[in-house]
Amino acid sequence: MKNFLENLLLFKEPKQTEKFILKENKQDTEKDSEKASNKNPSQKSNKSKEKDGDTFLDKILGSNQGDDEQEPGAEKKEEKISKKLSTNLKYMKKVYSIPKNGDIVLRAFDIVVKDKTIPAFILFYDGMTDREVINNYILTPLMLLSNLDIKGNERKIIDYIKNHILPQSQLNETSEYTSVIDEINFGGCGIFIDGIDVAFAADVKGWEHRNVERPNSEQVLRGPQEGFTEILRVNTALVRKILKDEKLIVEDVIIGKRSKTPCSMLYLRDITNESLVEEMRRRLESIKIDYLIDSGELEQLLEESSLSVVPQLMATERPDMVAAHIADGKIGVIVHGSPFVLLAPVTLVDLLQSPEDAYMRLPYAHLLRFVRFLGIFFSLLLPGLYIAITSFHQEMIPTDLVFSIEASREVVPFPSVVELLLMEVMFELIREAGIRIPGPIGPTLGIIGALILGQAAVEASIVSPILIIIVAITGIGSFAVPNYSLGLSFRVLRFGYIFLGAMAGFLGITLGLFIQGILFVNSKSFGVPVTIPTGPKTATSFSNNRLIRLPLWKQERRADYLNTQDDTKQPKISRKWTEDNKKRKGDGDEE
Amino acid sequence: MNKKIVFLILVILSSALLTSCFDSKEIDEKAYIIALGLDKGKNNYLNMTLQLALPNKITSGEGESTSTTTVETPTLYAGLNMINTYISKEVDFTHCKVVVFSKELAQEGIHDYIHAMIRGREFRGSMFVAVSTGTAEEFIENATPILEMNPAKSYEMNFRSYEYTGFTGDTTLTNFYMLAECSCRQAFATLVGVNPYEDSDEFDPKNSTFREKGHDRPLEGDFYAGKIPKVYGTKSEVMGIAAFDGGRMVGEFDGQEALFHQMLYGTYQSSYISIPDPKNPDAFVILNVNQGRKPTHHVEMINDAPINSAKVQLEADILSIQSGFNYENTDNIQILENAAEEHIKKGMLRFLNKTRPMHADLCGFGRDLKMKYLLWEEWEKVHWLKKYAESKFNVDVEVKIRRPGLMVRSAPAKGSEGDVMK
Repeated sequence: MKNFLENLLLFKEPKQTEKFILKENKQDTEKDSEKASNKNPSQKSNKSKEKDGDTFLDKILGSNQGDDEQEPGAEKKEEKISKKLSTNLKYMKKVYSIPKNGDIVLRAFDIVVKDKTIPAFILFYDGMTDREVINNYILTPLMLLSNLDIKGNERKIIDYIKNHILPQSQLNETSEYTSVIDEINFGGCGIFIDGIDVAFAADVKGWEHRNVERPNSEQVLRGPQEGFTEILRVNTALVRKILKDEKLIVEDVIIGKRSKTPCSMLYLRDITNESLVEEMRRRLESIKIDYLIDSGELEQLLEESSLSVVPQLMATERPDMVAAHIADGKIGVIVHGSPFVLLAPVTLVDLLQSPEDAYMRLPYAHLLRFVRFLGIFFSLLLPGLYIAITSFHQEMIPTDLVFSIEASREVVPFPSVVELLLMEVMFELIREAGIRIPGPIGPTLGIIGALILGQAAVEASIVSPILIIIVAITGIGSFAVPNYSLGLSFRVLRFGYIFLGAMAGFLGITLGLFIQGILFVNSKSFGVPVTIPTGPKTATSFSNNRLIRLPLWKQERRADYLNTQDDTKQPKISRKWTEDNKKRKGDGDEE
Repeated sequence: MNKKIVFLILVILSSALLTSCFDSKEIDEKAYIIALGLDKGKNNYLNMTLQLALPNKITSGEGESTSTTTVETPTLYAGLNMINTYISKEVDFTHCKVVVFSKELAQEGIHDYIHAMIRGREFRGSMFVAVSTGTAEEFIENATPILEMNPAKSYEMNFRSYEYTGFTGDTTLTNFYMLAECSCRQAFATLVGVNPYEDSDEFDPKNSTFREKGHDRPLEGDFYAGKIPKVYGTKSEVMGIAAFDGGRMVGEFDGQEALFHQMLYGTYQSSYISIPDPKNPDAFVILNVNQGRKPTHHVEMINDAPINSAKVQLEADILSIQSGFNYENTDNIQILENAAEEHIKKGMLRFLNKTRPMHADLCGFGRDLKMKYLLWEEWEKVHWLKKYAESKFNVDVEVKIRRPGLMVRSAPAKGSEGDVMK
């Protein structure tokens, strides 16, 4: 027993674990990185080629080959493509379970060259490919081709087909089944021709998808109105459209054994801290999972602490946000199939900012920002404070209000905590049901919510009217949190504050704030404490990451905590015309 | 490791759940007192009167908004216990706005009660301390709000009226306690009373203090609370202040004296003051007087007797010139300023001389003297509050008339018999 208590109460040094920390880098980083690249030049150069090239087919090939080597069960896939078409056909039929599989299309045809007939077939998924492209630019040239002059050398035929016949921008020849299969699985078209031991994979993706629309959850009045969609390449293009810089690297990673979800990691080669990129790459590449559908899942796989009160990656639908953060030295991760792009590392201040803050003129931006902070304060603390004040600190309420609360509570049968929890749960219920409710019934829910829960509950004296106001303000306030994830976190914490307020009044609220403060200070996002720049104090001359924003022309440096390779964002005088004005005035004086 | 965490969580949870919210009270589980009255009891030390707010009546606006109860008891908290037995909800003082002592009790000394209130955490420092010319019970019984639905607000507004009438003073509990404990100043409380008149024919000039002051007729401030010639409306009145020495009431001052006290003390804001017309003794000039600067005090000890000087700087706007004489003229304005200065100075000296035998340094001259001593022991040897009785007073009043109101020049009324001037 004594030992147990001792173990419990005495401080024991925790095991030292090496975690990722975003360290300082000044001039040293460049040297370090050079060294690192020298160590394994082949790998590095290979990778960078792939990255620069944006060809994610290459990446699929590369990574899958790597995976397969480790997996013993996948030996078959390593088989080389045969010269005999019938072998290939048999193999592919087996792989795709033809004819069991309904949506795979196998089209056999003949290529007639002068007097010789070469059998061939193509293989693609119906619905994932663009039929017109296949008809016009694959089948037509191959079938109607008549002047094929074969000069014995196999290699030449391959080159000839590739160079002259198939007008495809992304056409890969390969001698392995796996790569063709992967390509077909992702909306490509496999072309097999008799007599040659390679197959062609043409990129003819053409599935139905959503267009670029307004972002649903992060709307602004001022600023770009485009949002990400589900298509990876559309999303990367949306970012590239803003950052027209060849140094913007889109590095591809495939995640998921079954889903093989392509993901892209976006960063600026000459800005982002290399150790950060390395860490992100390490985490992404090490993920072994069956399927990955949304970036929300990836977020959970990437974050350091699953129970932290602060989101450690920021999800956004807005390309402008992603572009701005990447330009500041962060990393974006796009998941194919998810319109939400992840950003890391993030701080609390990032999460509390709306993109509009940057687009608005300074005074308005600050007004909006402080209103938002007020809303956040309400959403987190108001119900707790109400309970604390009404059950412990009645002297704080203005006398008139005390009397009106007392009069309205006179007929209410529950203690105010129960009353409040009842209303909060009801509100959460409306909110949850509101998301799932079918569109046409939507307005009905509003009426039910407003009438039943508001008026009727008061008239039936189940709750007091003042409480409806509290819950309503809290609800409105919670929508002011710009980041959905953080908003949810506050929604959960709010209940904690209600309990603490009911249990110990202001003492409880203070305790809660203290604990929350500890949790916040303790949270890290990719090696960056989320409470920066106030938690650990850092240089504040960088601009956008403070509660008060500097004018745009004064935002001269990138965030200190990101330790970017180049932390100057713009020269000290970014509005050259002000200098010119001075000069002009000086000249005028002389005259 | 897991066991440890579970154990810790259990300890924290059970300590939270076992203590739970043991001292939490819903708002509707309490009865809020808005006024507390303390009288000398017939058979015991105290007659304690509580005025309870009735929130249902207050919010609906129907019927009496308060309920009063009186109990005879030895001490304040004993009385509270007794009252709690027959009032269904727990009595709560956190919203008490005023504590009224009867004059009789105040003269015996109230400092122990003030101590009890300062020590108790329920009494708020912003509560007003008042002395009733009659009994406290009578005052509370008659303090019915006319304009407000909420009686608490009624008290608050009424006791704050000194900000624009000047006839009482800032007598909050904290202020009272601070002054009562101070070795260089004396405390004062608001004087309250109940109006005796039923009919305007009953008005009696004997109830005014104008004669002893040498005024021809009662001016607006020449009354104590409970003596104002008025009928109808609420019976309760707030006017004048009561001076204390060592927690015992030693004297009372009427409205005008309270106004001069505020001017000298530094809390004066603004009010209307009637000045006898220097050109025509039958007429008045009405000024809206504001404090220009805070008053300065200066004390000199000559032959071991203090000479207290004060400098009061006032600014005024003309509201009415009954005589129609053109005082607005830059040549004549001096006449009016001098008359106002003279009038105010006379009143102030009278007030100060009245405080002298009471040992009541209400205006805080002692503060200036205290600053001249380096050591506390030396200052204590002065026995200022005792010494105050030997004081001589000099008052320097400066009135600057800034604006003539909306009329730039007075002109007599034109009539068939020529100009009419009062």
